[in-house]
Amino acid sequence: MANDRVIAWQPTVIAGPKQALLVTPETAELMIKKAKRPLLILGPLVKEDPVLSLATGIAKKWDLPVVTTADAYKAFNEKGLEPTAYGVVEIVNLLKDPEWLGLKGEGQHDLVIFLGCVYYIGSQGLSTLKHFAPHLKTLTICKFFHSNADASFPNMKDEEWFNYLEKMGTGG
Amino acid sequence: MAPKPESKPKNFKDDFWKTKDIKISIGEIDEASGVIEVPEVETQGPTPKPNITDLRSWDMKLMGRYEPFYAPFCDMCCLCTFGKCDLTNKKGACGIDAEAQQARTVLLASCIGSACHSGHSRHLVEHLIEEFGADQPIDMGLNIDIQAPIMMTVLGKKPQTLGDLKEALDYLEEQMIHLLSACHTGQEGKSIDFESKALHAGLMDNLGMEIGDIAQIAALNLPKGDENAPLIEMGVGTIDTQKPVVLCIGHNVLPGAGIMDYMDETGQEEDLEVCGICCAAIDISRYNDQAKVVGPISKQLKFVRSGVADVIVVDEQCVRTDILEEAQAKNTAVIATTDKICLGLPDLTSEDPDKIVSKLVNKEIPGALILDPAKVGEVAVKAANILSPERATLKKLPDLDEVQKLSSECTECGWCVRVCPNGQPMMDAVVKAGEGDFSTFEKLYLNDVCYTCGRCEQECERDLPLMSMLAKVGEKLSKEEKFNIRAGRGPAQDVEIRRVGAPIVLGDIPGVIAFVGCSNYPNGGKEVAEMAKEFLERNYIVLTTGCGAMNIGEYRDEEGKTLYEQYGGEFDARGLINMGSCVSNSHVVGATIKIANIFAKKPLEGNFEEIADYILNRVGACGVAWGAYSQKAAAIATGVNRWGIPVVLGPHGSKYRRLYLGRADKVDSWKVKDLRTGEVMEGEPAPEHLLYAAETKEEALPVIAKLCIRPTDTPKGRQIKLNNYMDLYKRYFGELPPDVHLFVRTEKDIPITYKKDVQAILEEVGWKPRKVAQEPSLMGMDGD
Repeated sequence: MANDRVIAWQPTVIAGPKQALLVTPETAELMIKKAKRPLLILGPLVKEDPVLSLATGIAKKWDLPVVTTADAYKAFNEKGLEPTAYGVVEIVNLLKDPEWLGLKGEGQHDLVIFLGCVYYIGSQGLSTLKHFAPHLKTLTICKFFHSNADASFPNMKDEEWFNYLEKMGTGG
Repeated sequence: MAPKPESKPKNFKDDFWKTKDIKISIGEIDEASGVIEVPEVETQGPTPKPNITDLRSWDMKLMGRYEPFYAPFCDMCCLCTFGKCDLTNKKGACGIDAEAQQARTVLLASCIGSACHSGHSRHLVEHLIEEFGADQPIDMGLNIDIQAPIMMTVLGKKPQTLGDLKEALDYLEEQMIHLLSACHTGQEGKSIDFESKALHAGLMDNLGMEIGDIAQIAALNLPKGDENAPLIEMGVGTIDTQKPVVLCIGHNVLPGAGIMDYMDETGQEEDLEVCGICCAAIDISRYNDQAKVVGPISKQLKFVRSGVADVIVVDEQCVRTDILEEAQAKNTAVIATTDKICLGLPDLTSEDPDKIVSKLVNKEIPGALILDPAKVGEVAVKAANILSPERATLKKLPDLDEVQKLSSECTECGWCVRVCPNGQPMMDAVVKAGEGDFSTFEKLYLNDVCYTCGRCEQECERDLPLMSMLAKVGEKLSKEEKFNIRAGRGPAQDVEIRRVGAPIVLGDIPGVIAFVGCSNYPNGGKEVAEMAKEFLERNYIVLTTGCGAMNIGEYRDEEGKTLYEQYGGEFDARGLINMGSCVSNSHVVGATIKIANIFAKKPLEGNFEEIADYILNRVGACGVAWGAYSQKAAAIATGVNRWGIPVVLGPHGSKYRRLYLGRADKVDSWKVKDLRTGEVMEGEPAPEHLLYAAETKEEALPVIAKLCIRPTDTPKGRQIKLNNYMDLYKRYFGELPPDVHLFVRTEKDIPITYKKDVQAILEEVGWKPRKVAQEPSLMGMDGD
């Protein structure tokens, strides 16, 4: 199918008319630049190399505060990112609260970048934020198109994805 | 309906029982004779037979702490012809918003699940009364006096006979009608009240399950809290395929019992194999330990495709809706046995059994609907005896070289992976099989990593029979699938509760963990067994039911022993207790209620809120539904939550649309009232969440341990619980949990092995010791 790249990776997560905007690494970088308080959420699917290093490179290049979900903490802590560990539903619950002061206590985040969460639970979390967190934007840089995000990378094979991530970071 | 004035929870005072020894006589008027029968005088609490709004104030207290967290599965509402309405930051044509719509969907799911259990129980009770009489006593054995703890708490009375159960069913069916009605367009408008109703539907579900299980235990003489219930053979490899095979799928014991009875009566007990999938398997093996368990529903399609079964008998719930089509492809006869699943088949309930057999084996009909369990028994056995030799020469699956040839047709479009609920590597398996390498197929087969939903097959542009190919590759492996499961024992005995009540409430036994629910696992069933093993080794009491109980039996240790062979079935630390089928989940709740009653002397009758408050604050129990997929599981969990028991779901659980999450950072939400002093004081986030979805097993393990912490733990008990939490967290996260200080009340709570590390954390966060409530409670707060 010609539009395989921009149909939700698991097509049945398509929830309604509002679909994510397809973004390139360059557009993703613009979103990060524009954000006042971005947050990077790293999940268990990227706790091994090469994406472990690529994700670390992105966090370092943009000096992003990092939350890890599931058991991704150990790997990224060893990479020196000083992440904070939450369950994915816990961090989404905090992000939907406009009163939450964010990871650094400086105010709620205005951009949340997801990378490496299990697809369908990640999709559910993105749906929560789409519906109940108008105060922030979501961006996913997984190798899967996430229709519930505000902006997403397309569906890709590993090689192309690694290139995308490398462009956004320091390469680890 | 307006709440009954006499049952308003707001009238309930903390010292109610001490100062007002109210005694109410409950009698029933026999309409025919006009005689008023007055049974024993019972002490009645404030909410016997609660209506929808009677426990609303308790629900609001729960949700004040554990706010509903919504994750819409769909942006739209398509329930009425105003719609579809897009609810993304918009209201629908009826005025509903996205939160209320999610809550409405949860209520609907809970009603469906509850109706399933209650409908099942209604069938059982009516049938058993017909067979044994309404006066058949409910006797759960010598060691069980509190034989229906949910019914006693909710209805305010103890059932003595099968006939008494009808009153409970009448009550819950009335409640269910009102609850379902609230789902209609233009009824309830606020999410919080949809939630309260969902909690009520969950409570009705728990009640319905209890009715069903005690009816079948009492009338069919299933194990009555027997810690030494027999080990049952389980696994495809235990089935002698040379014999005629009858497969039962579903949840209702009656058709399977009919088959076993007929075999016994006709001296054929050694001649046929009767096996089951899903809870029907568990309950038939509770009835007769010669029945075999194939396994959980994850095996359904691959086992049906294997063609082993000569006759498939379906009853109700969790049966593949295309079962007739699948069976016909294998020349397997189908018998439908309940009004829930008729499959378009002719109703032959009144037909002569031999004529039905003749029609089935001569293919005059694709199957038969028979609503009489005894007749099902006769027809199934006779048909299997005739079909078995005929089917012996039938080619049931493609040969391996055909699998390889079929695989080579794969276009590598990748859509099989994309539509797989877990993104399992089906395409990789097929591509490798095309080269003669079946190893990835084997990985998918083992432990039901592929749970054979068959969505990949529907998507395949080459129409490859992927599930049949999987079944073929697994055929050789399945011969090694020889496991066991301890027959479902039913409830905990009162004497056991007396023994463990104090250690559980004080924390010496670190928790009671129940692995329940279906097999929609992210990575196969092995993870459930691994989690159960972890907590058994750590001295927890591990309960299990249904598909979870079967998955636990499929795990063997290095010495080749299953967990049921390694751990005893007593309700005690390091006990692995298979309580039974889905309806036996009621005994998980029942055990916690019994702790409140037997250990703490809390009266049960009509006293829901005080009991739930006790369980929430003092009984360190946690449910784990790692593969929950069904509406029944939604209803069970919602009911369990209302009793104050937290539940951890697997990642697919997020699709239920609603969780109940606490916020440890909101200090005020954890305040409790010390009933001993009347003082309202700061509490702790224990349990931190009421309904939680974990992304991976590694995340779930420390969360489960944490959710067993309760405010009433003694310092010794808290040390044990924290030690387990910290151990597990450190294993997967590499360091101690950052929130450990929240659970240290005084220095006496610090586990010795982690003393220095914890003290360093306490110092870093500026921790100070705090006062501990002697009798922590949510009652008497917020305007009570």
